[in-house]
Amino acid sequence: MSSFKPPFNYAKVYSKLKFLVVDDFENFRLSIRQMIRSFGVEKIEVASNGEDAVQKCTYDKFDIVLCDYNMGDGKNGQQILEELRFKKLLKRTGLFILITAETSKDIVMGARENQPDGYIAKPITKAVLQKRMDALIEQRETLLPINKEIDKENYPAAISLCDAEIKKKSKYITWCFRTIADLYFRTGDFAHARKIYEDVLSAREIAWARLGLGRVLLGQKHYEEAISSFTRLAEENQDMVEAYDGLAETYRQMGKLKESQKNLEQAVTISPLAILRQKQLGEICTQTQDVEAAANAFRQTVKLGTHSVHDDADNYLQLGRCLSDLSEGDTSDKGKTFAKEAIATLEKATKRFDTSEVKLQSLLIETRIHKGQDNLDASKKAFEKAQTMASVDDMSAEAGIEMAKTLYRLEETDKAEKLLHKLAQRFEHDKKVLAKIEDLLDEPVSLQKKMKARELNRNGINYFEEGKLDEAIKTFEEALAESPKHPALNLNLVQVLLKQMEGGKLKAEGLSQCKQCLDSVAHIPSQHRQYKRFQFLSKKIAELG
Amino acid sequence: MNENNPLDFSMIMASAVHDMKNSLGMLLNTLEEVFGELPKEMQNQPKLATLQYEAERVNNDLIQLLGIYRLENQQLRLRVDEQYVSDFIEEQAARYETLFESRGIKITLECEADCIGYFDHDLVAGILNNTLANAARYTKDEMKLTAGFEDGWLVISLSDNGRGYPQAMIDAPGEIVKGINFQTGSTSLGLFFSAKVAALHSQGDKRGRIELSNGGELGGGIFKIYLP
Repeated sequence: MSSFKPPFNYAKVYSKLKFLVVDDFENFRLSIRQMIRSFGVEKIEVASNGEDAVQKCTYDKFDIVLCDYNMGDGKNGQQILEELRFKKLLKRTGLFILITAETSKDIVMGARENQPDGYIAKPITKAVLQKRMDALIEQRETLLPINKEIDKENYPAAISLCDAEIKKKSKYITWCFRTIADLYFRTGDFAHARKIYEDVLSAREIAWARLGLGRVLLGQKHYEEAISSFTRLAEENQDMVEAYDGLAETYRQMGKLKESQKNLEQAVTISPLAILRQKQLGEICTQTQDVEAAANAFRQTVKLGTHSVHDDADNYLQLGRCLSDLSEGDTSDKGKTFAKEAIATLEKATKRFDTSEVKLQSLLIETRIHKGQDNLDASKKAFEKAQTMASVDDMSAEAGIEMAKTLYRLEETDKAEKLLHKLAQRFEHDKKVLAKIEDLLDEPVSLQKKMKARELNRNGINYFEEGKLDEAIKTFEEALAESPKHPALNLNLVQVLLKQMEGGKLKAEGLSQCKQCLDSVAHIPSQHRQYKRFQFLSKKIAELG
Repeated sequence: MNENNPLDFSMIMASAVHDMKNSLGMLLNTLEEVFGELPKEMQNQPKLATLQYEAERVNNDLIQLLGIYRLENQQLRLRVDEQYVSDFIEEQAARYETLFESRGIKITLECEADCIGYFDHDLVAGILNNTLANAARYTKDEMKLTAGFEDGWLVISLSDNGRGYPQAMIDAPGEIVKGINFQTGSTSLGLFFSAKVAALHSQGDKRGRIELSNGGELGGGIFKIYLP
């Protein structure tokens, strides 16, 4: 019926390929099996659920996986693909084809994110399946040598094979351009990647090229240009989550966390079923101290984790921490509800992930929840249990920080600081841990107080810049009443006082206040980012007597 | 029903359509299996083709209803991707292979193997399915499906040797003809959908469109979709 069949021996290719058919309905597996057998496929295995499919892929390499989206109660097709990609069980030479009757937007968006090699919409008939498979197989066969090199991470060889394919004026010419650009990008050759994307875009506005260009610009740290590239992409393809991911990452690298959060929220609205993005959003919100938004994101992360390879105790603990912060000192119904949900979340965590580490961290968070709700007995009980499990010399950094946070809340400030100093020594090469230790040393107070201190600090800086020194001093003092140990706050106050003393006013009183401030900061270790400023100001005050 | 909370008919319709589509899928698969179990000589009877054809038609209508609903409600936006056009038109034609064979309709496909287009696969597939199903009804015994570039436009065209389109349709392709013609069963829903989807495809200031005409090589109706 077709007048332009290329010379391609499909039956011969089919006979050497290994297929895996995944569906929970036996009837469906049988009918797909029959269809592909009639194409000449000889090696066919079947799996009836996600676990089975992942296991089969672990012990065997399949060339083609045909997988239904809807699999009853267990993992769905998207989660199977996600797991296979995450565990690197799918090579580039292997194709994953998703069969779906789903048309709901969330599902479609979620499935796209793990980039299956093809979709087949139900209802499937033999003729349609054959055409679709023929096309996929022809592409796979043609590009096999290239993909084999990429699987071996031999990128230069892959690039020259792509070049050869382009010279042949192959049907897959744009695939080759796209692949070359991606390989340049991966090897860090941004200039070459950029050239290809720009060439492609000069002929036509194409989403993958615009996205690639944005990523290259981000890689080159041309933040403004990256933002305009991603923004344009988002304007022309409103459903393109990758554009918002790009924006979020750019703003994150620029240190504009609020902007980063906004874009991630946009991405999550478009595609709510991607678990890793929900988790990322939760983490950004924690950093911007938008704790309610963080709790929402971690709540989704926990929910999506049920059948996912990315299910992790950390998701539960993060949610527990957020809810604990939200409930702290709030004994209204709202606060009680948060506290209850927090306890329930931690219980689930210890049940699902039965390790002493998870138990210890759960108990420590639980201690704070009870304390924050004035349930002192329950708090004490949980803390005693936690103490029997923890030893200062070998507890993990996370557990140590959790312990310090709890000690502060129990008003055991000395013990908390001692512990943090010990941790700072043990983890002196781990920047992330050090940053967390610093944050705690800086502001070992409740979330509400932190927020208030932060706002006052901003106002104080404004007054100082406007030259209103008295107002600035008063505002920093108010801020310090909320967060007395905050190094930046204390040092800010010292700086304003010094400026005021230059005018010759109130020297003795000012000096003693400065010394008090410096004493409050004396606890910071030498790795602290305010340490140099602290030393400088200390010297200056000492000189003044 | 409370007046302040009017029944959201389109939402109910959308969910009903989704459900019907699933049932139809089961129906089509089961049909194919049942016929597959019949003895060889009975497998090729026209009744199978008719059953499949009518089921496909219902399926197409539902896809279009759902598609229009989604577009109007901004639920699913256009997803323009690179497409291998020859694979694409072969696949669409394959849906009707059994039907064409049983009705003695000969279909010819013409497209360069390296022809690459940029469009939303599912939506344009919806257009072609509808057009093929329609043409199968009105053609005598021949059809030609071609695709290629004309002045920078990707043109997919389906022509037949039937009696052609009525003049009113040619003059205003894609407009819902007032009321429904119960004699022919035509609702012009398919053309309305096609025109809408075509117009959603744009590149610079070029906007996609459909064109209907009569005559050409085969002498019957010609349906053309222009994509930028």
